[in-house]
Amino acid sequence: MSTSKKKWLLPLTVMLSASMLLSACGGKSNTGNESAGSGENASATELIWYTIGAPQKDLEKVEAEINKYTSEKIGVTVDMKMIDFGDYTQKMQVMAASGEPMDILFTSSWAFDYVQNARKGAFMELDQLLEDHGQGIKEVLDPAFLEGSKVDGHNYGIPANKELPAQEVWRFNKSLLEKHNLSIDGLKTLEDMEPLLKTIKENDPNVVPFAIGKDYGPQNLLPYDYIIEKLPMAVSLENDELKVVNILEQPEMMDALKTMNKFYKAGYISPEAATTTSTQDLFTSGNWFMDRAATQPYADNSWSQSYGYPVVSTPANEPTVFNWSVMGSMQAISANSEHPEEAMKFLNLLNTDAALRNLVDSGIEGVHYKKLSENVAENLPESKNYDMPTFALGNVMLTYLNPQDPENKWEEFKKFNEAGTPSPLLGFNFDPSNVSSELAALNNVKEEFWSPLMTGTVNPEEFIPKANERLKAAGLDKIIAEAQKQIDEWKTSK
Amino acid sequence: MGAIGRFLKNIMTNRAMLLMVLPGAIWFLFFSYLPMFGTIIAFKEYRFSRDGFLASIFNSEWVGFDNFKFLFSTNDAYIITRNTVLYNFVFIILGLVLSVALAIILSEIVNKRLAKVYQTGMFLPYFLSWVIVGYFVFSFLSFDKGMMNQILGWFGAEPVQWYSEAKYWPVILTLVSLWKGIGYSSVVYLAAIMGIDKSLYEAAMIDGANKWQQIKAITIPMLKPLMTILTLLAIGKIFYADFGLFYQVPRDSGTLYSVTNVIDTYVYRGLKTTGEIGMTTAAGLYQSVVGFILVMTSNYIVRKYDKDNALF
Repeated sequence: MSTSKKKWLLPLTVMLSASMLLSACGGKSNTGNESAGSGENASATELIWYTIGAPQKDLEKVEAEINKYTSEKIGVTVDMKMIDFGDYTQKMQVMAASGEPMDILFTSSWAFDYVQNARKGAFMELDQLLEDHGQGIKEVLDPAFLEGSKVDGHNYGIPANKELPAQEVWRFNKSLLEKHNLSIDGLKTLEDMEPLLKTIKENDPNVVPFAIGKDYGPQNLLPYDYIIEKLPMAVSLENDELKVVNILEQPEMMDALKTMNKFYKAGYISPEAATTTSTQDLFTSGNWFMDRAATQPYADNSWSQSYGYPVVSTPANEPTVFNWSVMGSMQAISANSEHPEEAMKFLNLLNTDAALRNLVDSGIEGVHYKKLSENVAENLPESKNYDMPTFALGNVMLTYLNPQDPENKWEEFKKFNEAGTPSPLLGFNFDPSNVSSELAALNNVKEEFWSPLMTGTVNPEEFIPKANERLKAAGLDKIIAEAQKQIDEWKTSK
Repeated sequence: MGAIGRFLKNIMTNRAMLLMVLPGAIWFLFFSYLPMFGTIIAFKEYRFSRDGFLASIFNSEWVGFDNFKFLFSTNDAYIITRNTVLYNFVFIILGLVLSVALAIILSEIVNKRLAKVYQTGMFLPYFLSWVIVGYFVFSFLSFDKGMMNQILGWFGAEPVQWYSEAKYWPVILTLVSLWKGIGYSSVVYLAAIMGIDKSLYEAAMIDGANKWQQIKAITIPMLKPLMTILTLLAIGKIFYADFGLFYQVPRDSGTLYSVTNVIDTYVYRGLKTTGEIGMTTAAGLYQSVVGFILVMTSNYIVRKYDKDNALF
């Protein structure tokens, strides 16, 4: 009796679960693309669009308006799904790997890495689609964007038209500058800041003089371009040799870290800096004096507006066009998309049509914002229910200006874009697949040493040699050699 | 015909039992057995294919044991294995001793209402997420505002940079882990104690045994099978570290890695940027295989000494 029971139980359960699995899969495909929108154009194709940012309360309302507009114009509706900044990379990695149905998705150099995922095959190659349905994009976009975001010679994403180079500035809490009669004219290097930080530390003990967290590093100010962000392989910007070096072995790095360590010991930096993930609470309370940030034209205006008190800044380096700044915000078409042509039509409209772009960005006129003139709009109180990350959703230069913005804001953006010097590595994308186990080990060593060193928490003269020894043991030299080989090949092919 | 008839009859006689087992069986099938086919990814360089997940698996290239290399390529392999196994070993031993002790103490409290209050109080931390526990610990150990440094200040001692002094962390992590987990496991033992036949204690009392003798001669021997089973199961997980404990509680502080880096955090840190799921699968498979071997060996040893207490 009992043996026969055992013998039968397994096949039975297998059969049962197999039938359940089949019915589950079948159910899923039925609810897919056909159930488009809420009663608009029934023949419209629904596109699933994953994008970055905190999910918004009024998303559904705005989506209905978007769909009304797009279904008439190009016969397409969208189902927008938002994933918050902190979760985006991980969730998208899992969804892309498991083949979740999607059509359009956000990608960039800093979230759901564009180059790596293009290489893994997550995105559709867009060269032909751009020719066929994306002529508008080609017209409005600075050609440097499409050129700079090619992976192995092909485009896999549509960059947002925004600032092209990256430039770092020192930001200051203006009221504290005025209170202590400090001037920021002519300040540029980290060392220049010392007298100001000292004044603040002595006179305003409750203020954090230099607001930094664990992601801060002086490495962005050094004239180097990094093969992979925040890993020590770098190429100098000051010559065309394209020689890959270990940034931690460079004298500039040692000097910068010594200064950081001096500031840390003097109490200008929070003792918890190496484990602090966000300095947002300092910005909210206004209890900070200085920090460093990436800028764009009229950034002071937008910072002051979002913090609610005046912020001023002064440049810390020259604007340079890096691979990662070109790929700062892109929308790609998923490799498993069933409607690539419609998706490209939608992206084309998003990047060229001001009405759609502003609908997606600021919501519904009269509900979320009020128009002051042709291209100036003011947020209404309801806008808190629809606050989207403007930079992530295509052509920024179509969006309405804030009342505080100067009329020539986008002209200044164009000037800023032209002023940037291209990095000698622009257009080169490292392919890490030959050294992926070394990279995994290297990442662990880096995580161990990077934040304590960069925030000045530890003495660089003691820790840099230790870090270098461990990095070498993890295979840094092999990665540098591989990077050098790929760069040399890239240089000759150019 | 005969076989089918017997089978149907069998189902009919046991239908209540089978129905009860069904949800659990289905759950295991879906979430433990079906995903096992995924271990194949550990031997492939996973690349996306436009026809979905299964197609991606089949179209990816075989790479043999390449995905396992990163686990053993540096001397970090020694540190993470040592940390994982030693911490878990300490957690298993201390957890066992303390939760049995707590369960016995709770069962001996005469005021049942008070016993419930203690029990609930100890149970509560089990439900907290590690992120929240991480902030609790931070409120103790923060350099400028933490409670520990203030107390040290009252005694005139120098404040300590807790998050960069590795030597304190083995103790801190053990304390935090026990504080969070013990309430739960002691409830399991408490339930077993409640199930012990009261007449055994009555008989012992008539024979003049005191409390200590009763515990030693009745409670602990009666708990032994449960203790063995739970410990065997814990040994199977000795290669899995509690990610939240080792990542959130030390606030991912680099200077503490020598004592906080375990297999799970190592894999996370190494692969979070590249997202190579072949390599993460390899790490998971490695942990499972070692866990499986450990369970089989320790079960074998238990069976050798005491057949009734072994798992199988």
